[in-house]
Amino acid sequence: MATFALTELLGAPVFDTGGSRCGRVRELALVPQEDRARVAVLIIRTSTGDHLLPFVSVTSINGGIRTDVPAANWAKGDGTEGMLLLGRDLLDQQVIDVFGRKVVRVNDLDLLQESVANHIVLKVGSVDVGPRGAVRRLLKGIVPLVALRALLRQIPPRSIPWDFVDLIETDPARRVKLKISHDRLAKLHPADIADIVEDLAPDEREAVFETLNEEVAAGALEEVDPKVQKAIVESLDSDRAADIVEEMEPDAAADLLADLPEERTSEILLEMQPQERKEMVELLEFKENTAAGRMNTEFLAVHVAGSVHDAVEALRHFEGGVETVSTVYLVDSHGTLAGAVPLAKLVLATPDTPLLALTQEPLISSHAGAREKEVAELFDKYNLMTLPVVDDNKKLTGVITSDDIISLLRANL
Amino acid sequence: MARFWKRWKVRILLFFAVVGPGFITANVDNDAGGIWTYSAAGAQFGHMLLWTMIPITVALIVVQEICARMGAVTGKGLSDLIREEFGFRVTCLMMIGLVIVNFGNVVTEFAGIAGSLQLFGLNKYYTVPVCAVIVWLIVVKGQYKTVEKVFLTASFFYVTYIIAGVLAKPAWLEALEATVVLPRKEMFLHQDYLYMVIGVVGTTIAPWMQFYLQASVVEKGVTRRQYKASQLDVIAGCIFTDVVAWFIIVACAATLYVHGYHNIADAKDAAQALRPLAGDYAYILFAVGLFNASLFAASILPLSTAYAVCEGLGFESGVGKKFGEAPVFYWLYTILIVAGAGVILMPNIPLVKISILSQVINGVVLPFVLVFMLLLVNKPSVMGEYVNSRLYNVVAWATTVIMVGLTIAWFWTLRSG
Repeated sequence: MATFALTELLGAPVFDTGGSRCGRVRELALVPQEDRARVAVLIIRTSTGDHLLPFVSVTSINGGIRTDVPAANWAKGDGTEGMLLLGRDLLDQQVIDVFGRKVVRVNDLDLLQESVANHIVLKVGSVDVGPRGAVRRLLKGIVPLVALRALLRQIPPRSIPWDFVDLIETDPARRVKLKISHDRLAKLHPADIADIVEDLAPDEREAVFETLNEEVAAGALEEVDPKVQKAIVESLDSDRAADIVEEMEPDAAADLLADLPEERTSEILLEMQPQERKEMVELLEFKENTAAGRMNTEFLAVHVAGSVHDAVEALRHFEGGVETVSTVYLVDSHGTLAGAVPLAKLVLATPDTPLLALTQEPLISSHAGAREKEVAELFDKYNLMTLPVVDDNKKLTGVITSDDIISLLRANL
Repeated sequence: MARFWKRWKVRILLFFAVVGPGFITANVDNDAGGIWTYSAAGAQFGHMLLWTMIPITVALIVVQEICARMGAVTGKGLSDLIREEFGFRVTCLMMIGLVIVNFGNVVTEFAGIAGSLQLFGLNKYYTVPVCAVIVWLIVVKGQYKTVEKVFLTASFFYVTYIIAGVLAKPAWLEALEATVVLPRKEMFLHQDYLYMVIGVVGTTIAPWMQFYLQASVVEKGVTRRQYKASQLDVIAGCIFTDVVAWFIIVACAATLYVHGYHNIADAKDAAQALRPLAGDYAYILFAVGLFNASLFAASILPLSTAYAVCEGLGFESGVGKKFGEAPVFYWLYTILIVAGAGVILMPNIPLVKISILSQVINGVVLPFVLVFMLLLVNKPSVMGEYVNSRLYNVVAWATTVIMVGLTIAWFWTLRSG
């Protein structure tokens, strides 16, 4: 099994059945609809223009490409629709290294030659992002080939297996034709996706966010730097933006919407589901630098007369984020805050224990209008994980979690 | 009193809200290299280089606008685009060229630091290493953004050149006439004159500025829609730069040239000549202005170079990363500073001569950068509907051709003695 570098093959001479040199390789193309790795077509530059040669007719690669189809029968034309051109679309472009979780620039591609039933098959093996590809391209044609090969053997390869490479394509139609998705990227931690996205150009960010599913996109968007976050949402269609914002944590979504131009915010709100829209409008009315502006309105509240069993049942059916449930809050029938039970106590107690017996004293809460600094001081003083927020009538309206406070403090560092 | 401060705070905040990459780049443009070159131009040739200011301003606006537009439309830096469109080898050569030219510029900034502090009687063997460490720490400790604001506020010192120019009581009418009328044809056969013209163009439209401006536009997140504001920012910055340059030349012409000091050897010469004529005030302003300009540019230049090179060649980069995560980025940055400061520490090094030489090299390299910029900005696959208009192409290609012509003419005068 031999390995070829893409840049060795680009420009290589092509010989037809008669053994005469008919042209040079201009491009190697994949047809991702059929196979994500196999080279399907060669584009050959001849004196009479570009020709397409299916790779199955290639009989040998070493020392020039040989084919068993006479040059006269090569298909003329430049119809490259549905093809990924390795030279144009990959060489020198940025791709996402899903394994290393970062954006890298392609120096070269390593192609593997295999023999399948007397046929030569050429597959993309890995993407070279290290000095080996760089040196090869710098010195190719300047240093004698033998010396260059010897030199390249001394350089350890730094490459990414093709399976871990995610392509970035900004044209939506082409994305579909080339079957470019971000399934692998979507499996990363939202914070890693956010870091990767921050390294991309605006059009590329938009492309990634259009392809990710709403849930993943929302998770990643929460972690992106606010300035970039704003730019991404502004670049997306309103209904796509609304779909993503609906999936975000309400407090993060509210912060984001508050930063957008008013017109844009209302466009997005209009596209949202009525229930979520109502919640969002309420959150947006709070001033941003108060307790209410930081709070999450998805929280777990159980009736004050309930037992541990009731609380666990409520937990099972709770759909909000897990960070808000490290404490379960007790409310009376008017929704007034009556107590707080740490999750740990809940777990250790028997199912029939009344919740009131497990409450934490003193009950710390914050008024919706309290300033962020006071809220942070409460967290520090009482070593809180979560803090309930109440309105003028002591009614529980939201919960602030410690991760909100960490973001707040980091922003002020 | 409190109200007074509050009002000023609001004003300063407003200033920073409006000020953008274009204005910042323009300020860095009047760095030590600029000040030395304009001063020497005024001292050596009086008003005879003033005519260059209007064409240079037009060219500068066009070139900077192209960069800002490319940044806003593509969201990518200039070296990224060169890499993606012209491949590895071209990028590599371009980056080697950029590092060499910018090394010259860094040397010049340290020459400015040494020269300006010498005016206060401080020895360069202490001041240059101390300032090099300060510059290095600013970036490595991640304080760059804060410091940028301080420098920007301090860059109001550039107004001091205008004051210095006015205090020097120049011949206004003659200066204005020389701004719009070309000098005698024979001047263009003078080797020194051609050298100075290339230097003046090179320092005003420096190659590295194009990389820096485009990167700043991208960094600021300017999009196609907000682009109009950036355009204004760029135009205002360019005009400000060249008004300051005009005043430096006029001030030096009115003082040094008129009184027969045609050769500036160091900052002392420039300032000493200003002192008896315009009083102590202009002398101190000159020194402080030069120091601020040099230190500001000394912190931006190596950083901008390291960014451009690493992005073009695919190395990890960014002040947010640790030394071990982006070794090439930090090493390049460090070497540029250490070696740049090191050159100035050599005994008896002619500060001004070496500075002007580096600006001339800028001018010689400029057409190469311009060619790539023009090829890029005219590619519909890169710029879409935002490709250059014909007028822009005419101005930018004319600049390129003229710079190549001047360079060839200068080499030709060398040959004929």
